Amino acid sequence: MIVILIAFVTGFVIIFLTSTAPFESIKAFMSVPFSNTYFFGNLLATMVPLILTGLAASIAFKSNEFNLGIEGQFYWGALAGTAILLFMKESSPVLTVPVALVVSAAAGGMMASVSALLKSKWNVSELISSLLIGYSLIYITDFFLEGPMLDKNSGLISSQAIPQNFMFARILPPSNLSAGLFIALGLVLLLHLLLEKGTYGLKIAFYGENSRFAKYIGINGKHVVFVSMFLSGALAGVGGIVEILGTQGRMIRSFSAGYGWNGIAVALIARNHPLWVIPAAFLFAFLESAAFASSIFADITPEISKVIQAAVFFLVTASLWKNKRKKG
Amino acid sequence: MEALLHETITSSSIILLAALGGLFTSLSGKINIGLEGLILMSAFLTPYFSQVFSSLFIGLCLSMGICTLLAAFMYFMHQKYKADIFVVGLAMNLLATGLTSFLSAVLMNTQGTATFVLKQSVEAIDLPFLSDLPVIGFFFRSQNIFDYIAIIAVICIFILIRKTWFGLHLQALGYNKRTAVSTGLKVAELGYVAYALSGLMCALSGAAMSLPLKSFVDGMSNGRGWIALVAVILGRNNPIGILLAALLLGFASTTANVLQINTQFPPKLLMTIPFLVTLIALVISSAKTKKTT
Repeated sequence: MIVILIAFVTGFVIIFLTSTAPFESIKAFMSVPFSNTYFFGNLLATMVPLILTGLAASIAFKSNEFNLGIEGQFYWGALAGTAILLFMKESSPVLTVPVALVVSAAAGGMMASVSALLKSKWNVSELISSLLIGYSLIYITDFFLEGPMLDKNSGLISSQAIPQNFMFARILPPSNLSAGLFIALGLVLLLHLLLEKGTYGLKIAFYGENSRFAKYIGINGKHVVFVSMFLSGALAGVGGIVEILGTQGRMIRSFSAGYGWNGIAVALIARNHPLWVIPAAFLFAFLESAAFASSIFADITPEISKVIQAAVFFLVTASLWKNKRKKG
Repeated sequence: MEALLHETITSSSIILLAALGGLFTSLSGKINIGLEGLILMSAFLTPYFSQVFSSLFIGLCLSMGICTLLAAFMYFMHQKYKADIFVVGLAMNLLATGLTSFLSAVLMNTQGTATFVLKQSVEAIDLPFLSDLPVIGFFFRSQNIFDYIAIIAVICIFILIRKTWFGLHLQALGYNKRTAVSTGLKVAELGYVAYALSGLMCALSGAAMSLPLKSFVDGMSNGRGWIALVAVILGRNNPIGILLAALLLGFASTTANVLQINTQFPPKLLMTIPFLVTLIALVISSAKTKKTT
């Protein structure tokens, strides 16, 4: 609740400072996303990738790992999945779409687990290695979209369009909301069962809280780090391809708009709890779409959402996430 | 060749300035991963204030003040509200990305790239006497002011951390916090100063990046703060070591830039070079450290 309050107070202050008609702008900011199915559907559509990147960050944090490559893994998963979908154009969607999802998960997961391996083998900080690899992945993705995978007829820097029959069914037309929402919710449930109910979740939690104690009671630390980083990357990769199959329809350069980074903030607000990722992602999606929608109806720049999100992130660090890490 | 060297020095000094800031926090045992964001803030604020007050000096001072306060605020969140110091660093980076693109849109009325009207410009300076020397004279010819500041900073900071009580206390704190507390060191105060200094140095780094171009591009720091962080690790908390690491990493980015202009090689793949070189250097360095301990 405090978080929501902070978010809106910051938002209003910024609107007051920059808008010529602040009250109308605030009204637009608050009401437009709920005003019709188009805007509301788009809000939920924005929520889908945030849920997935939020889960990705949660599982890494849970075992006390920092995966800062989520943004890169998101692109990488989308790229690998898109390549598969375009390669298997002629096949039936019943076969192709699941294959693409698995490939995306594997692609994202592999890139994240490189950091886990570097950490357990040579003690390389996973925080920095995942970030450096993440940056590189974004450039490599750009290379593919500008070169080998470029669709010259589209006028965009993007891949070819995914065949229409592969796309997830739209719910709430005319908005962008698709059945990808159910995939996201399904994964929330799965992760909830894994982390909160199963023994494996206990292992991860033990390791995250106190790695030395975990080792003492016979938990293989390297294994935990590897699995949680792999799953984190895999979720990010799935997030990428679900965004393509649900909303974008083709892979356009820089389509992510910071989903990876905001996923980290979402995980923190949710205190790394999979079920709480849903409302946290909703809040961020709301800020995003409110800023976008109200920039159409009032004099607000859409960049305002980034500032509010960052301010929320900053304040959330203090109010919610107590210092569990023993030393930096 | 000469141009290549000059460019290497310029891109190294941007990394070096930020890395020296990161050094203080690394010594204190709580490394600042918000360098990236602080650099980005200054990259916008310095030219912006310089334009508003039509003075580079005032612009730089204001930006240094703000970045110093922001960095101290980061430590405040950690110290007072027990926020994880890494998470605060991430928040700083996110805040800087959002705030600079927002400010650039609102204040400069642009999308993506803001160009500033500056009365003075950062010019190449030849140092008298020194630039006439053979061989080493090269390093004192047509470098910009920030390159000189970076070198002077290396020397000052070397003395500061090796020869003064402040530096020794900071090292003691990083070495063993519990002992430091029990011997009566002012842990919180040292932490604040270390963070404030990292903000100050990042402000110089950001200014060195955007002032010569007289423009700000969204996200222009582009990983330099992280590369600087690795330079601190590679340099093993020694300013001279950091200088060498910064030169290596600066050389990698310059090579990528030069190849982009002169070859047909896909530019986007070349842009991964600085990150991959940094990663490889980090792996080698970590592997060595692990062996010796």
